[in-house]
Amino acid sequence: MNTNVRLESAPSVAVVPANPSYRSRLRLNLRLRMGLTILAIFAIGSFTLPFFTDVNPSEQGAYMKNLPISIKHLLGTNSQGQDIFWFLVFAIRNSLILGVAVSLCVTTIATLVGLSAGYIGGWFERVVMLITDSFITIPVFPILIVLGALVRGRTSFWVVGLLLVIFGWAWGARTIRSMALSIREREFINMARFSGASTFDIILKEIFPYVYAYIVVGFINTILFAINTEAALAVIGLSKVETPTLGSIIFWALNYNAMFIGQYTWIVAPVVATVLLFLGLFLTSTGYNELYAARRGHS
Amino acid sequence: MGLIQYIAARVGVYLFVLFIGITVTFFLPRLMPSDPIENYIAQLQNQAGQSMDPEDVAELRASLSELYGLEGSLFSQYVGFLKRVFLTFDFGPSFSSFPRPVTEFILVALPWTLGLLIMTTLIAWTLGNSIGLLAGFFHNKRTATMLEVVGVVLYPIPYYILALVFILVLAYVFPIFPISTTIRPGPLNFEKVKMILYNSALPALTLVTAGFGWNILSMKSLSFSTKQEAFVNFARLKGVPPRTIMTSYVFRNALLPQVTALALSMGTIFNGALLTEILFSYPGLGLLMRSAVGSGDYNMLYGTITMTIIAVATATLIIDLIYPFLDPRIRYR
Amino acid sequence: MRSTWLTHKMLPLTLLLVLLALAACQPATTGGTEASAGGEAAAAPQAGALTDVGTPRHETLIFQTFDRKSANPDAMNPLMQYAVWRGFRELGWGYLWETDTGTGESYPELATEMPEVLNDEHTRFRITLKEGIYWSDGVEFTTDDVIYTLDTYFNEKEKLTNGNVNRIVNYVKSYEAIDKYTFEVETVNPSYDLHTVMGVYTWASAFIPVPKHIFEKEADVSAFRNTYPVTLGPYVVKEYDPNGFWQLWERREDWERSAWGWMGEPKAKYVLYKDFGPEESRVLAFVQGQYDVDTFMSPDSIKGAQERTDKITTFASTMPYHNMDDACGYGVLMNMHKAPLDQAEVRWAMALSLDLKEVGINSVNGEFKASPLPMVDTQIKRPIYFEPLLPWLNDFTLADGYKPFDPAFSSDLVARLQEMGIDASQLPEGEEAISEAFGIGWWKYDPEQAEKLFNAAGMTKNADGFYTLPDGTVWELELVIPGDWNKVMQRVGFSIADSWRKSGIQVNARQVDNAEFSNTQNTNALLTTTLNWANCVFTPNYLNSWQSMSEENLMAADASEPIVGNVWRWNNQTAFDLIAESKAMDQSDPKFLENGRMILQEMVTDMAYINIMNIPTTIPTNETYWTNFPKQDNYYAVPYSWWSSAKEMVVNIEPTGVQ
Repeated sequence: MNTNVRLESAPSVAVVPANPSYRSRLRLNLRLRMGLTILAIFAIGSFTLPFFTDVNPSEQGAYMKNLPISIKHLLGTNSQGQDIFWFLVFAIRNSLILGVAVSLCVTTIATLVGLSAGYIGGWFERVVMLITDSFITIPVFPILIVLGALVRGRTSFWVVGLLLVIFGWAWGARTIRSMALSIREREFINMARFSGASTFDIILKEIFPYVYAYIVVGFINTILFAINTEAALAVIGLSKVETPTLGSIIFWALNYNAMFIGQYTWIVAPVVATVLLFLGLFLTSTGYNELYAARRGHS
Repeated sequence: MGLIQYIAARVGVYLFVLFIGITVTFFLPRLMPSDPIENYIAQLQNQAGQSMDPEDVAELRASLSELYGLEGSLFSQYVGFLKRVFLTFDFGPSFSSFPRPVTEFILVALPWTLGLLIMTTLIAWTLGNSIGLLAGFFHNKRTATMLEVVGVVLYPIPYYILALVFILVLAYVFPIFPISTTIRPGPLNFEKVKMILYNSALPALTLVTAGFGWNILSMKSLSFSTKQEAFVNFARLKGVPPRTIMTSYVFRNALLPQVTALALSMGTIFNGALLTEILFSYPGLGLLMRSAVGSGDYNMLYGTITMTIIAVATATLIIDLIYPFLDPRIRYR
Repeated sequence: MRSTWLTHKMLPLTLLLVLLALAACQPATTGGTEASAGGEAAAAPQAGALTDVGTPRHETLIFQTFDRKSANPDAMNPLMQYAVWRGFRELGWGYLWETDTGTGESYPELATEMPEVLNDEHTRFRITLKEGIYWSDGVEFTTDDVIYTLDTYFNEKEKLTNGNVNRIVNYVKSYEAIDKYTFEVETVNPSYDLHTVMGVYTWASAFIPVPKHIFEKEADVSAFRNTYPVTLGPYVVKEYDPNGFWQLWERREDWERSAWGWMGEPKAKYVLYKDFGPEESRVLAFVQGQYDVDTFMSPDSIKGAQERTDKITTFASTMPYHNMDDACGYGVLMNMHKAPLDQAEVRWAMALSLDLKEVGINSVNGEFKASPLPMVDTQIKRPIYFEPLLPWLNDFTLADGYKPFDPAFSSDLVARLQEMGIDASQLPEGEEAISEAFGIGWWKYDPEQAEKLFNAAGMTKNADGFYTLPDGTVWELELVIPGDWNKVMQRVGFSIADSWRKSGIQVNARQVDNAEFSNTQNTNALLTTTLNWANCVFTPNYLNSWQSMSEENLMAADASEPIVGNVWRWNNQTAFDLIAESKAMDQSDPKFLENGRMILQEMVTDMAYINIMNIPTTIPTNETYWTNFPKQDNYYAVPYSWWSSAKEMVVNIEPTGVQ
């Protein structure tokens, strides 16, 4: 569907550097701080700003069409008579909500499946991994095209979220399972088992902390996957295009040929927003990863 | 586990994936919101300007069902479908290009998709990994950070935006490449190859640009962490020249996870190629698939989706089978 | 450190923006010589530019295809479903009679004159063919071919997939050859429309003669693909794309003895039909002069293109810029079997809840022509149906005495457009010109009256301002609209949904693909409301569109089988009777037209179909290589690159001399 799915295939991005130098540690914290700052601006901005307007951003003809940038319209208005700035604010908010919601579900499923498969092993693991591998191998785009044609317009964009969950959990499950696998044979797990801890307890208390760092990184990456896949679906018209999202704003801008007719802010603003959002998520994820490594290295 | 078991396990997974994929393929289009037979009958009636005799309609419906392979219960259709696909690779006639068989269209489209895909994946993978290696190995240099940033910025830009920017810049402002694909029929000679390359340049460029960002990022991170490992430090202390360290020590070790990742992301890469084809009207499987959805052509959908699943699963299998030769330490797990 | 780091992070971003900006600014003049830049042009700089398919650009007329990509590029057998939009209708086949798209009148093409009526019942006809018309392989066209084609229609009707075969088989009772150039036909019923059934009714002829000497060699004509067909028209297929994106035609050496060689010399040696991609990339090719005539392009893209080159022009130089004479219009079809759409009050309330000025401005920049009657307001039909009914519309009242018609619609629209900053020189002046341009008026936008009507049907607004059904649940209306495959309708559809939502109707606009769209329209089960092109009436003869409206074609409310013609399930006995009566009438009879007006009145009274606007047929042209395309001030034909107008275009254009 989209390049960004590929981050999911990159457990290697989450590989923890063993022994970072002092200098690079300083930089990591900077990364984390910068990433969090960007995310905070996006999150706080898109969630609080809507309280300062009573305009419905997707209503057509609310203003004159094609107005230039001004104090009243920070990014001008588009060819449908909507305010581009407000549409973008709502779009970022909806995309974030969708991303976080999808990512919560995906991470939960991936963690449960991965941990249980890795720890329990045996035929259970084999069956689960077979299904996981199938989900990873089958190209989702054709399936999403068919499903998209089926559901579009009939339901809210939450259904799109559901589809993303269905096709998004496999990558994480695979990675977490392989991490759980390597931990399973370690000394302290056996200790715990002999001292009578239940399977659930062992998974939760002994194994979980070890994969925790990956889960956080995976969570952040999945947000990105969700936002961008929804956007890609919207652009080919298969999502709910009347709901403002980063994808639907690009859909309309392309539909009206914004670049060609000189409506640059309409198309450039969502692209820049997507890139910045990605930058924030990427910095947070790598920053957190290295911070965690540094902490472990020194404790 | 020995090598034989490893291969057997891989092939087993391969067959299972194919089975699941083809099953999903069969049932999904049944959910499609259009009925080719009723549409055809309605079209006939509208052109004739009068209702047909109910008996005639029933007869027509039955004969069309038979032609399209839609007669019988869902289960018997499913069994028949599996038989035809696995034994004879036959998907029946296309509805919208009746009565030509779907397989005919797929065989025409497949080389286009595979050609574009293999070429761009190789380029994106090699280029991305080389840049990533440099960025990771010289991670303190500004250039290294720059290269990483290139990756970070390229990676989230959606395909369609990249495609549009390339069209605008390289086909319109500087009209170097064609805006849309035109391939004339004719024998495969030097001229034809030139024509194909010339027409494939923009879609390929889009795929490469969109694809190599991730390779930069992951390779950078990998080579950075490999560089910190004890055996690399040891080699450095032993006085091995940095260039050798980079290629023989860091690259070789960082390469393996990248190969695995490539195998795992074949499906995703394929998705991108399909989308690009649609955007550039490139005559491959993706375009075939999109128009099949548009016209409610079930058989064509079965054929194209099954073909992509086979292609992706096979590519994954091939990489999996090559893997042991790259990594002598593998435990065949 | 932070600042340098930041600079580094931002640099590629800036680069990207520069790239975007670069893409945005364009060379001031993009002239013709740049066209088709690339390998081939460089290969032969002396001989002038070549097209992508290797023909000299200045000898090639290039059309954007009507249907983008053809699913059956090698299917060229007119007895089957075939690649019809690749120029076969226009350049390849020949017909007994053809319709002049501009006037709606038929004229003989292969025949010497209109059919000669042999009996008073109007069932027997004699037809004479022109002598000296030859197939492209040099064999003469005679009654043998006509009789062979009719024989094949009747003998193979089960296997032939071209739906028109049924039309002829149901229409014709018998036929016989009299001599080499004369034959006779007897019809099942009294017929006044032989010339538009066995000849062309605007878009197609149900009868297309095929060459006997070619087809009789085939054991199974239904399996015959007829690739590179032997043609009657002045062009033959030279090359086609197996992927269905383009097809190249070449003028016959002996074009003078082709089906319409008598019209004059076709100016272009080659005619290329090609798809230049989705609108975003297509418009770039258009600006570069890679092709001459587009089909439907959105107003914004045309405007953008015109800012870049003065070679691109629209049909008219003033608003609404486009040709509005297409046979079909856009309108909202409602399933009158589904509550609450079964009540006339509700349907009227929906019409009065629609702010059409707003819809037209938001979706098509106000470049549209509204029509209150369920028929398209074209130059042909205005004097026959619209002008006579205008007084009736003005006086028309609903049951509660309310007058819904707004005759000032168009002048108000012009005022709105002026307010929006559109220059007065771009707008028509004077009442008559405004009415010609934007229509005779439309229904009032009156949410208050609409609410009264809704309330009368037991539907009230809830606290959120949305209408509820009598049982208290919110009325959720589904509006099916075309997706990306018809951009203008897609936009109009979303704007209609937006406008209705503002009036309190909870609309879910669902954009769908082509196949699902047909399914929605063709079966009873799926349709609630849909934005559709319907009531396609091109000539004064309305029967072509309304013939199937009868009691027996009405399906039960819950039926899901395919339906015929009357897709909106209108049940009105008066109208059914009128249609039945008209079927047995001479179409030049004033009573025939009077019946048409009465049917229209019935439809309006019932608000059976909310007609919206004429199809804005944009068809911009690029006059770098060819000029003298049909325009409003040069109206030798309608501007369509399809139908008979394409023939007139091909013989009337002039090369500019640009190489």
